[in-house]
Amino acid sequence: MGGGGRWRAVQGGACALAMVASLAAGCRSRDRIVVGSKNFTESDLLGEIVAQQIERRTGLAVSRRFHLGGTFVCHQAITAGQIDLYVEYTGTAYTAVLKHAPVADRDSVYHTVARDYAQRFGLAWVKPFGFNNTFAITVRRRDATRYGLRRISDLARVAPRWRAGFGYEFLERADGFRGLAAVYGLRFASPPTAMDLGLTYRALAEGKVDVIAGNSTDGQIQALDLLVLEDDRHYFPPYEAAPVIRLTTVTRHPKVAAALAQLAGRISDAEMRRLNALADVEHRDIATVARDWLRSNLP
Amino acid sequence: MQGVHGGSVSLWGFYARNSGEVLGLVGQHLSLVASSTAIAIVVGVPGGIVLTRRPAWRGPVLGLANVFQTIPSLALFGFLIPLPFIGGIGATTAIVALVVYALLPIVRNTYTGIAGVDPAVREAGRGMGMTDWQLLTQVELPLALGVILAGVRVATVVSVGTATIAAAIGAGGLGVYIFRGVAVVDDTLILAGALPAALMALAADALFGLAERQFAWRAE
Repeated sequence: MGGGGRWRAVQGGACALAMVASLAAGCRSRDRIVVGSKNFTESDLLGEIVAQQIERRTGLAVSRRFHLGGTFVCHQAITAGQIDLYVEYTGTAYTAVLKHAPVADRDSVYHTVARDYAQRFGLAWVKPFGFNNTFAITVRRRDATRYGLRRISDLARVAPRWRAGFGYEFLERADGFRGLAAVYGLRFASPPTAMDLGLTYRALAEGKVDVIAGNSTDGQIQALDLLVLEDDRHYFPPYEAAPVIRLTTVTRHPKVAAALAQLAGRISDAEMRRLNALADVEHRDIATVARDWLRSNLP
Repeated sequence: MQGVHGGSVSLWGFYARNSGEVLGLVGQHLSLVASSTAIAIVVGVPGGIVLTRRPAWRGPVLGLANVFQTIPSLALFGFLIPLPFIGGIGATTAIVALVVYALLPIVRNTYTGIAGVDPAVREAGRGMGMTDWQLLTQVELPLALGVILAGVRVATVVSVGTATIAAAIGAGGLGVYIFRGVAVVDDTLILAGALPAALMALAADALFGLAERQFAWRAE
């Protein structure tokens, strides 16, 4: 899922703008590929995999500008030419950047973002990694067992007595809470509490709220004994992760595009969850996780 | 930047259409800053006074206040969520965090202000037979008031900015617009929160500047 991720350090627009400004201040040479990532583990991991793949396959030097303040900062940075590529999610680009109304079909979402990004921003979408990191409507496992919850439609029964805590992105996005509430007929005891996404996991585990919207590939879901409810009415659009790269960079370094194409379709949902857990739960070094993964999957 | 402006409207249009909500958030923001600064004064000024009486505590107490200052707010919220009374989600947690951040300038300036009072003046007070309490309330505090106010001024102005983080823990305030704007890639929304916060900080700074000058005159 798009700009989500634990311990997001998004502390406001002033901060975000300051980051873009500081990126703009630094100069870079033409033969260095600058890879960005958003401010959550999965984005850092994929950024590192992409960076190492470019280093291994093209011999070009790679600068890393990781943990930038979310979709907003990454998009500004890449359109301003301060980074050459970063990993984005199709559904996020479709709804948050291009402001289209959400749709469920994977291929049509991918083709629309690829076409619009090329036309409007001079950016190319590489083929996706293969997994879908969707919003995950998440509850405590013991509550799921006690109330027999398996699907989001089961939630409507208990919602009037429950409290929800959601990140701003989920509350605001066209493919977020409002649509979900309408499709599933959800009405909670009080309006959902708006808070930082990373803190929602803690609030759920501590019993301060009863349902949150996380990301389906997050490592904490297993670590905190939580359960993701099935989206049985297929409300959420696809969020396939893929590198987005400046067309000018592709023209100048065609080898980079070829190196990135080798990563297409290589990471399943389960594999991404496993990699996130290695970094988030076992606190392994991201560069090591990326190196090991590349060694065993693209020797 | 092209495209990012796509679905957004002008800032003034946004304010016109959401005036009720804007005022509500401004009110929340003000009350977060006012209550946290008030608590920080109630705790910090006596704290600074105690340090002038117990010089051995100075290092550890100021050191601790310094350390508090460096804890990232999201990490602090994470620690506070499980705690009873001062934790959970909502305004209480946000206020606790803001108090923690406001303490350092208030404690430090109270200490520095009183410690900086001319020893000759203090001796004169003692010579007149003043008790420690009289010396504090009639000599030291009035003379140190300018410096103490300067600390409160810094704490308040910084709090106005820091209070935007309250939106991360369900406590509302102008940070709501900033968080929303960052989440949906909309710079109008970000400005809708950042601009009034900046104006509020400038206003607080000017007000305290006036107050400081008032007390500086009186001290002379």
